[in-house]
Amino acid sequence: MSVVGLSLVLMLLLFLILGSGVWIAIALAVCGFAAVLTKVATPAGQVLATSMWTASNSWDLTALPMFIWMGEILYRTKLSDDMFEGLAPWLQKLPGRLLHVNVIGCAIFAAVSGSSAATCATIGRIALPELLKRGYDERMAIGTLAGSGTLGLLIPPSIIMIVYATATDQSIARLFIAGVIPGIVLAGLFMGFIVVWALFNKARMPPPEPPVPLRERVYASRRLIPVTLLILGVIGSIYGGLASATEAAVVGVFLALGLSWWSGTLTKQGFVDSLMGATRTSCMIAFILAGAAYLTAAMGFTGIPSALAEWMSGFNMPPWALLTVLTAFYIVLGCFLDGISMVVLTTSIIIPLVTKAGFDLIWFGIYIVLVVEMAQITPPVGFNLYVLQGMTGRNIFTIGAYALPLFFLMCVAVFLVAAFPGLALWLPSTMLDAR
Amino acid sequence: MRRALDTLYRAALWASALCLVAIALLVGLQLAGRLLDGALALLHLPRTDFVILSLNEICGYLLAAASFLALAGTLKAGAHIRVTMVLAALSERARYLVELWAFGFAAACAAYMTGHLANFAWVSFFFHEVSAGVIRVPLVYPQAAMAVGSLILTAALVDEFFIVLSRGRPTFRAAEDAITLGKEG
Repeated sequence: MSVVGLSLVLMLLLFLILGSGVWIAIALAVCGFAAVLTKVATPAGQVLATSMWTASNSWDLTALPMFIWMGEILYRTKLSDDMFEGLAPWLQKLPGRLLHVNVIGCAIFAAVSGSSAATCATIGRIALPELLKRGYDERMAIGTLAGSGTLGLLIPPSIIMIVYATATDQSIARLFIAGVIPGIVLAGLFMGFIVVWALFNKARMPPPEPPVPLRERVYASRRLIPVTLLILGVIGSIYGGLASATEAAVVGVFLALGLSWWSGTLTKQGFVDSLMGATRTSCMIAFILAGAAYLTAAMGFTGIPSALAEWMSGFNMPPWALLTVLTAFYIVLGCFLDGISMVVLTTSIIIPLVTKAGFDLIWFGIYIVLVVEMAQITPPVGFNLYVLQGMTGRNIFTIGAYALPLFFLMCVAVFLVAAFPGLALWLPSTMLDAR
Repeated sequence: MRRALDTLYRAALWASALCLVAIALLVGLQLAGRLLDGALALLHLPRTDFVILSLNEICGYLLAAASFLALAGTLKAGAHIRVTMVLAALSERARYLVELWAFGFAAACAAYMTGHLANFAWVSFFFHEVSAGVIRVPLVYPQAAMAVGSLILTAALVDEFFIVLSRGRPTFRAAEDAITLGKEG
């Protein structure tokens, strides 16, 4: 069979199996199996065992369960109340007022959590009822929350980045640090949008609240101290080269436990729940990675990725055209697939193409994270939409429409990162050598 | 039978969780040692040079064991992700048939995976393969844990297949339909 025919058959097989409700990890592995079968001489079962073993026993991947556990612990603390109370008094003067709590709160929580859905849920739990109670526009409150939650992926730590870095053999620490500036830029875009919207829609804003004296504002800010220390401890130690990503994640677990104990929210039940939740989530992701590793190894035997790279380079597309095509492809894919599957499919198939086109793999990691962020808020499959559906009872297509302006802002962010690669690559270049 | 199976899944999930706790404690201990050494150096005192040998390898093995031992418990909690868009659109009768196919097919795949992981572990055991680091950990331990986890997953899938057959729906339908937080990126 020709390479093109084979890739079409495999793709069809993958969608068929995925569509019939077989678990993603298994579907990926079955595709790998089918691909290996086309090469008669290759022992399919041995390749399966070796690639799953290699993908599963990894020091770098150990960061994954630790960061997930940290997030699970923090989800059960009063951190989100603290953040609302500490931030709200400062935002009364800015056009858009408390709507900015969504963006800034998510950006801050993103710096201690690696998940978009968890960020959205943690901040939304407090911010959404408060905003609606005060009469803010529902459309804006829900839409900005859906969009800002995705910052959880871009601002380190980030589960998607760990998945990408381990699958492409890049440094997790560098990828984390590369996400900081694009994350701040994206949060800035979101806030700019809120300001502009508020200036044009004064009628739809609730009446302003009485101003809070400076002294009280400063006093309220004390509630932001624990989260600030947590961020400094985790991201600071990675940036300063004091700790690898895994070590920083373990520091994060202990700091989160300490914070939880100090604020009086640490219970035995909560501890066990957080541990079990983390065990299951990390198992789910590790299993997908194991299945994807088998697919990647199998793809290597078929020669599809390199043939694809050859084929694409035959068009002599300039980089921007290639990126436009890829982005369009990801946006469509993102409507139907979750982020992790998107990343592992990418790494097993199109990385040779990306390297051949001359993209830096750290930079490409940031690009992938941005397009995966879009996937979080595009219906019918988008995890932030699910979270908000659970909270508000709205249909996911409605919530997707609320979040549409933020989707376009993410497209702008992709453009900015493509036009100015330094946004992603400058900060890691200043890092002290991370182990 | 029901009790025994559920206990098995729960025990494997706990073993997995304990592996993760062990990783946190080992890495935490090493970090504490490094902090202590840093403090001692500032005070011009002799360092302790406390090192956990082969820490990176050991953590990797613990992670591999943890990831596979939790497979069945994760399935039972409805936390393994799959595309449910098509399933949800089907009629109850059609969904029943597709669910049977999904569980049956997945069980066959898991059985195949178990066989090859077990064989892989057996080969490591037979040739006394050990890790490359200073401490020579026999590779059969983590690899056998993976095979055992895979076996328990196979059991859970077969178990669910018969549950769907008799009750018409998997035990975790509600959990899967509900929104599971932090399930994904």
